[in-house]
Amino acid sequence: MKLYSLSVIYKGATKANLLKAAYDLSSFSFFQRSSVQEFMTFTSALIVERTTQGSRASVKEQEYLCHVYVRNDNLGAVVIADTEYPQRVCFTLLDKVLDEFSKQVDSIDWPSGNPETINYKALDIHLAKYQNPREADAMTKVQAELDETKIILHNTMESLLERGEKLDDLVAKSEHLGNQSKAFYKTARKQN
Amino acid sequence: IKDVIIKPDAPSTLLLDKHADYIAAYGSKKDDYEYTLSEYLRMSGIYWGLTVMDLMGQLHRMNRTEIVEFIKSCQHESGGVSASIGHDPHLLYTLSAVQILCLYDCLDALDVDKVVEYVKGLQQDDGSFAGDKWGEIDTRFSFCAVATLALLGKMEAINVDKAVEFVLSCMNFDGGFGCRPGSESHAGQIYCCTGFLSLTGQLHQVNADLLGWWLCERQLPSGGLNGRPEKLPDVCYSWWVLASLKIIGKIHWIDKGKLRAFILACQDEETGGFADRPGDMVDPFHTLFGVAGLSLLGDEQVKAVNPVLCMPEDVLQRRGLQPDTLS
Amino acid sequence: ELDVLVQRVVKDITNAFQKNPNIDEIGVIPCPEARYNRSPIVLVGNKLGVESWCVKFLLPYVHNKLLLYRQRKQWLDREALVNITSTLLLLNPDFTTAWNVRKELLQCGVLCPQKDLYLGKLALSKFPKSPETWIHRRWVLQQLMVTRQKQQGAPEADIDRIQQLSEQAAQTVQQEMRVCTDAANRYPSNYNAWSHRIWVLQHMAKGNIKFLHDELASTRPWVSMHVSDHSGFHYRQFLIQQLLAELSPQAHSSTKINGAHAGHGVETEDLSTLLQLLQEEMELSSDLIKTFPGHEALWCHRRHVFYVWQNW
Ligand SMILES: CC(C)=CCC/C(C)=C/CC/C(C)=C/CC/C(C)=C/COP(=O)(O)OP(=O)(O)O
Repeated sequence: MKLYSLSVIYKGATKANLLKAAYDLSSFSFFQRSSVQEFMTFTSALIVERTTQGSRASVKEQEYLCHVYVRNDNLGAVVIADTEYPQRVCFTLLDKVLDEFSKQVDSIDWPSGNPETINYKALDIHLAKYQNPREADAMTKVQAELDETKIILHNTMESLLERGEKLDDLVAKSEHLGNQSKAFYKTARKQN
Repeated sequence: IKDVIIKPDAPSTLLLDKHADYIAAYGSKKDDYEYTLSEYLRMSGIYWGLTVMDLMGQLHRMNRTEIVEFIKSCQHESGGVSASIGHDPHLLYTLSAVQILCLYDCLDALDVDKVVEYVKGLQQDDGSFAGDKWGEIDTRFSFCAVATLALLGKMEAINVDKAVEFVLSCMNFDGGFGCRPGSESHAGQIYCCTGFLSLTGQLHQVNADLLGWWLCERQLPSGGLNGRPEKLPDVCYSWWVLASLKIIGKIHWIDKGKLRAFILACQDEETGGFADRPGDMVDPFHTLFGVAGLSLLGDEQVKAVNPVLCMPEDVLQRRGLQPDTLS
Repeated sequence: ELDVLVQRVVKDITNAFQKNPNIDEIGVIPCPEARYNRSPIVLVGNKLGVESWCVKFLLPYVHNKLLLYRQRKQWLDREALVNITSTLLLLNPDFTTAWNVRKELLQCGVLCPQKDLYLGKLALSKFPKSPETWIHRRWVLQQLMVTRQKQQGAPEADIDRIQQLSEQAAQTVQQEMRVCTDAANRYPSNYNAWSHRIWVLQHMAKGNIKFLHDELASTRPWVSMHVSDHSGFHYRQFLIQQLLAELSPQAHSSTKINGAHAGHGVETEDLSTLLQLLQEEMELSSDLIKTFPGHEALWCHRRHVFYVWQNW
C-alpha cells in the first residue's frame, strides 16, 4: 500500500489554489516521475474545485483513490493513495493536516498563497509517516469519530464533470501540466 | 474490490463485421512498429487471427497460400517450428503452426514425423516438457506437447504416464495448478493442465468441486473474470477460466449473463476488436478470447468452439477428435 | 543516414554503460521529436533514459540486423552481436531468439554469466514481468551452478577455494532475492517474479532450513504492506510447506539431500518450532484481516494455514 501525494488546496470562488504539496513517487519509473507529479497536482486541484464545502469524497481513477476533504472555510486537502490503503486512515490524515495547517498559516494568505510563499513544513513528514498506516496513529481510535456514510464515492473522475465537459479539454487547458505531460497523457490514454 | 465499472453506453451487441474487418486488416500493417514488436510470437498471432475468423465464418478472407508458405519456412532442422522466419523453434509456435494447418486441413505442409520427433525429444525424465532445447520447464509446455500430438494423432510417441505424473505434481491445495511443482495456481496454467488431463484421458484426477469453486470465485461484480485473487478482470480470462470450467463440467457455476455483458463491453465500436478491459487498446489475442468466450456461453452467431483446443468444433470433427470433458 | 543515426545511438548506449557501471534502471523519456545535436540517450545518476522518438527507429533496426544474422544473410562480429542483442532486449525483452543468441555467446565464453544477469535485471526494471527474461535468468543460473560444482569437485580445489565458491553461491542467491523483490514491488501479484523466487529456492538453496526461516522473516513485513498481493502470500505458503517437509519428514515425504533427520522421529524441538510457526501465521492472518478488511488474498491465505494445520 502506498500514499503518493498529499496536498493542501484552497477552494477559491472560480478556481482551486495549490498551497503546499508533498509527493512520494519512488514507485514510479524515474523518467515518468515529473509527469506523474504534474498529473497528481492537476487531479488534486480539479477534485477540490468540484467538491462542495464541508464534504468528504473518494474518487476512483484507474488504480488510484483520491480522498478529499474540503472544510466549511474552503480550505481543502487531497491525498492520493492506491486502492489497498485504508480509506479511514486517509481521512484522519486529512483532518489532522488541515487542522495543523490552519493553525500555522494565517487564513489571509490562503486565497493568494503558493507553495513557495507558504511556510508549512510538516507535509513531507506526514506523508512519510503515514506510508505505513499501522505506525501512524492508533487506527481504530478515530474510526468512531468518522461517519463513513458521509463520504461520497465517485467511481470515475468523469463523474465529477459537468454535462458536456471533457477531461481531455481540461487537460489541454491546465496550467499544472507541461507540454511533455500533455503529450504523455495523449499517448497513455488508451493503453491502460 | 478491484474491478471495473461498465459504462451505460458500453457496447452490448456483438459487432461481428467490425471484428472481421479488424482482423483482416491487421496483417496488412506489416511495417508498423507494433507489428515488429510482436514478431517474436507471430505464429501464435496468426493462429489467434485465423481461429477467430473461422469462428465468425470469415476464414476465406485470409491469405491461405501465403500463410501456409510462411509456416513451411518456419520449420527447422530439429522439426520444431519458430514464431517467424529467422527465429528459433519452440513448442509454443509448433502447436500454433499445427493448429493453423488443421484449420486449413493441410497438415502435410509440415514434415509431421519430424514435428513428432521434436516434441518427443523435449520430454524430460520426470515426465515434464521443456519449451525448447534450452530446457525451461512449464506445464504450459506439457499442454503444447500433448495438444500437438493429439492433433497429429501421435500421442503414443511420448511417455504419457510420466507426463501425467508431472502435471499432477503441480496441483495445489486449492485444486488449481501452477507452472511447476510448488508454484501458485493461475487460471492460464489451470487451462493448460485441465486441457492436458482431458487429452490424456485423466480428468478423473482433478478435484472438480474444489477447482470449480476456485474458478467461479474469479467472477467479479462487473461480470468479468480475473486470473487470480484480487487482480483486475480481463477478457482473456473469459477463455482460460470458462474453458477450464467447461472441461470440468462446472460452467453453470458462473453468472453467464453478466460475463457476456462484460465481454461485449470490451469491444471497440470504432476500430473493431476486443481489449482486455472496457476502453483499452484492442488486439487479436483478446479478440479471439472474447469471441471464443461468447461461443462457450452459447452465442449462436459464432461457431461452437472446443474448450480444450480452442478451435472450431467442426475442424476437430474433421480430424475425428473429441477430447473428454466432465459432465 | 538511418544507419549512421542508429549506430551512433547504439554506441551511446554502450558508452553510457562504460561510464557508469552502476546503472540500475532504464526507461523511455516521453519526447515526440528529436532535438538537434543532442543524443537521445540520457544518463541521470544511475538512470538511463532513451527518448521516445528514437525507439521507433532503433528497435526495427536492431531487430532486422539480428534476424539477418540469424538467417546467415549478414555477418556480425561478436562485439556487434553483444551490443545489438542488449539494445534489442532492453527495448523488447520477450524476443526469445535474442536471448538464445546470448546463450550461445555465453557457451563459447564471449559473455560471462554475471553480465547477463545484470542485463536481465535492467530489462526487468522496465518490464518486471517479462517471461523470457526470467526464463533466460534461470538458464544462466543453471550454468553458473554447473560451473561452480565442477570447480568445487576439481582435484586442485582446496578448503579455502571451496569456501569461497560456496560464499559466491550464497551471494548469488541473495542477489536473486533482491531482483525478485524489486520486480514484485514494480508489478503487483507478479507471477513470474514469485515463481522465479520459488525456483531459486528449489534449485539453489535446497534443504537449507535456515534460509527458509530467513525468507519467512523477510517477507513478513512485505506482505503486511501488500495485503492484496496473492503471490506474496502464496510464497509464504510455499515456505511453510517446505519447512514442514524438512522438519517432519515422515508426515511429508520429501527428498532430503543432507538427511540430518533421516531415521529419527520428529524431534520435540522441531515439533515446537512447527507449532509456533503455524501459530504465528494464524496471528498474522487475523491481525491483517482485522486491520485491512475486505481482502480476498488474506482470506485465501487463511484457508491455506487452516488446511496445513488440519492435514498435518
Ligand atoms: C491453444 C491455446 C489457446 C493456448 C496454448 C497454450 C498456452 C501457451 C496457454 C497459456 C496460458 C496462460 C495465459 C498461462 C499463464 C501464464 C502466466 C503465468 C502469466 C503470468 O501473468 P502475470 O504476469 O501475473 O500477468 P497477469 O497480471 O495477466 O496475471
